[in-house]
Amino acid sequence: MTNARTLIATGGRAALLLWLAGCGGSDSGGPSVPPSGDLVVLGGGNNVPERYTSDLWVHGDYAYSGTWGFRSAQGDALKVWHLDAAGVPSLVDSIVTAGIGTVSDVEVSSDGTLLVFSGENGGNAGLYLYSLADPAHPTFIAKYLVATGLHTATFGYIGGKRYIFAAKDPGSPALMIFEIAPAAATPITLVSTVPVPANYGHHDTFVRDGIAFVCAWNTGVLIYDVGDGARGGSPASPQLISALVTGGGEVHNAWWFHNPVTGEKKYLFIGQEGKGTIGSVSSGDIHVVDVSNLASPHEVASYHLAGAGTHNFWMDEPHQVLYAAYYNGGVVALDVSGTLSGNLSTREIARTTPGGSGNTYIWGVMLANGRLYASDMLSGLWELKTP
Amino acid sequence: MATIAGRGILAGTYSSREPFGGDLTQVQVVQPMLMAHAAAYDRHLRVTTTVDFEAWTIPDGELTFAAWGEGFVDRRHPHTVIHELVASGVGRLGGAQVSLSGGKGFAAFGSDDPANRLTLRYPVNHHWSQILERAVLTGGVLVGPVMAEASLFNGDEPEFPQQSPNVSRFGDSWSARLTVIPVRGLQAEASYAVVQSPEHRGGAGPTQNKWHASGRWQGPVGGHPFYVLAEWARTEEADGFFVFHSLLAEASWDLGPTRLYYQFERTERPEEERILGRPTRSRRPHLENSILGTSRWTLNTLGVGRDLLAAGGAYRLRPFVEVSYATVAKVGAGVFDPVLWYQGTEFWGMTLGVTVGLGRTAFSHLMGRYGVAEDAGYRSAQLHHH
Repeated sequence: MTNARTLIATGGRAALLLWLAGCGGSDSGGPSVPPSGDLVVLGGGNNVPERYTSDLWVHGDYAYSGTWGFRSAQGDALKVWHLDAAGVPSLVDSIVTAGIGTVSDVEVSSDGTLLVFSGENGGNAGLYLYSLADPAHPTFIAKYLVATGLHTATFGYIGGKRYIFAAKDPGSPALMIFEIAPAAATPITLVSTVPVPANYGHHDTFVRDGIAFVCAWNTGVLIYDVGDGARGGSPASPQLISALVTGGGEVHNAWWFHNPVTGEKKYLFIGQEGKGTIGSVSSGDIHVVDVSNLASPHEVASYHLAGAGTHNFWMDEPHQVLYAAYYNGGVVALDVSGTLSGNLSTREIARTTPGGSGNTYIWGVMLANGRLYASDMLSGLWELKTP
Repeated sequence: MATIAGRGILAGTYSSREPFGGDLTQVQVVQPMLMAHAAAYDRHLRVTTTVDFEAWTIPDGELTFAAWGEGFVDRRHPHTVIHELVASGVGRLGGAQVSLSGGKGFAAFGSDDPANRLTLRYPVNHHWSQILERAVLTGGVLVGPVMAEASLFNGDEPEFPQQSPNVSRFGDSWSARLTVIPVRGLQAEASYAVVQSPEHRGGAGPTQNKWHASGRWQGPVGGHPFYVLAEWARTEEADGFFVFHSLLAEASWDLGPTRLYYQFERTERPEEERILGRPTRSRRPHLENSILGTSRWTLNTLGVGRDLLAAGGAYRLRPFVEVSYATVAKVGAGVFDPVLWYQGTEFWGMTLGVTVGLGRTAFSHLMGRYGVAEDAGYRSAQLHHH
């Protein structure tokens, strides 16, 4: 159970800068001191009672969230939310896809024109592409079925083209890379399939600057050149640079931190998805890997929250704050400024369980429009005020 | 010396409650098996095998609410075609009888296979109380009333009936069993096992630590043969992150050709995500180590059967009827809600069946007991096939 997060540099820097501006980042790259304060619920919540909520994405005045498994209805729905002037979500549409059991990942292209989601567990599992010409009511463009399912799907922008990096799971796991051309006769074209060891397979992928970080559970994080030019890699022919198994394995998701304050691209944050009873308890730590030499990554720090485990990340890079979904532990904000080493427990800025005890199991978080949004498997979509 | 025998059961089973509600009746041929034994050198060398044909008679499992394992839920999964094929060398070392057995079969752990026991309905604890269908090497020592066994085997369970054990994982798991037989008819047993990644063939899954203990007695009551077994099991997974318990007791009383029997069980099982459109199957292979919750099943099963042919013959024909009542409850937190899933928490089941056997060893075959354990098994008690 994962989602994918991508912040793309090549071809996407403009979007990044716009996003930074939206977050109030300074033109010098952002403040040098991370903020303090609490995570405060602003709105939303308890708004998807019939389904368990999965991944989320926010773009402009709209948010999109997936659904998972079976509650009183199957997780075959993509929810479309309008965000009012205060950022509070209200449901405006729901896209139900027959033949899938879970909408496992959701993402909007950096230009806001396309929506993709991945589906798994069912005969229609695969990749789904929608137009956001009307962001309140996405319209179907194309699908690419993958019998074993796609666990995650995330955009990557390389060489002026738009790609989806997807995790084929379970059964014969692989990184599948698709070229996305919505106006073409074939809007979704498979360009390469890279097998991943069936060591619980492939979960999330993070793509930035032509580098793909493939999170491959107990095989660790696999670092591929998919187009940075350094090792001849491309989406059609990814080239493995290195691999690292962080403490405890169970490598699930990643975020390569480009620190605008220091200019460093030193740290890769890894989410470890440990054992869990969904809706109740979880485990797994955040691991920090020094990737200043991509060919020789090594773990330098970690964060542990007793009784809970991490899931997906979002990074407020200008403010040097990592937001981590933490399942029953809610949402955690960590100060990731400066040099990171050892135990990061003192770096915790804030933590909240928006649905309250017994009603919180956060899947993902995303910072948008200066607010933090969280998707809670139990209590739906929340809007939070950041520290 | 060699023997061969066969047996099977034609069973019509009714279940009052299925996933998402509704009832179901199925007529199936279950446990169709051929068993063969061969021995040489005054039984110092033995080979035993059981060939199971459930791959073809119950490819979608046997209708059995509460049963689970190997990707099946509320269905008892079919066993592998080569259920066991084990060669044993048996000898003496001083005052001890010793044996070394190897092949595919049962590890030295827990109680007898449910196919050798009273009820047709497999207990919920099958995966807590037995370890079977592995590439296994077992050493045994029998000294007077005490028997010690230890096994090395591969941790992975089968994923489908035609699959062989992953021999590349042989030796990643082990078990030990201590059995005491103080007097004929009385037996006590305690077992421990460490099983690596049983539910992920590649080995990525968590480790199970398993405990089991049982006591069994057979003797006359009111002048008629009586048998009783009580067993306890505990399995911890992922260093105790998940813990599952089981208690089971069963008894039978033979009144001439008629057998009365009863089984009580309270067992916890993990609840996993099911396949869309196939609610009696869980998703395989696993992709992570989360479950939806734990359910506790409490079952009472009452049955009566009658042999229509003379005891001791080469043929058996035993019609039987078996009735089960069960309740399910949620244990702890998690998103699995049995009320939602089953539209209720009470279950009734009934089976009308007939057991057919051909061959003198059809019902004396000691499945899962090899070398000295085979000899001790014959010493301790007779078998109690349904």
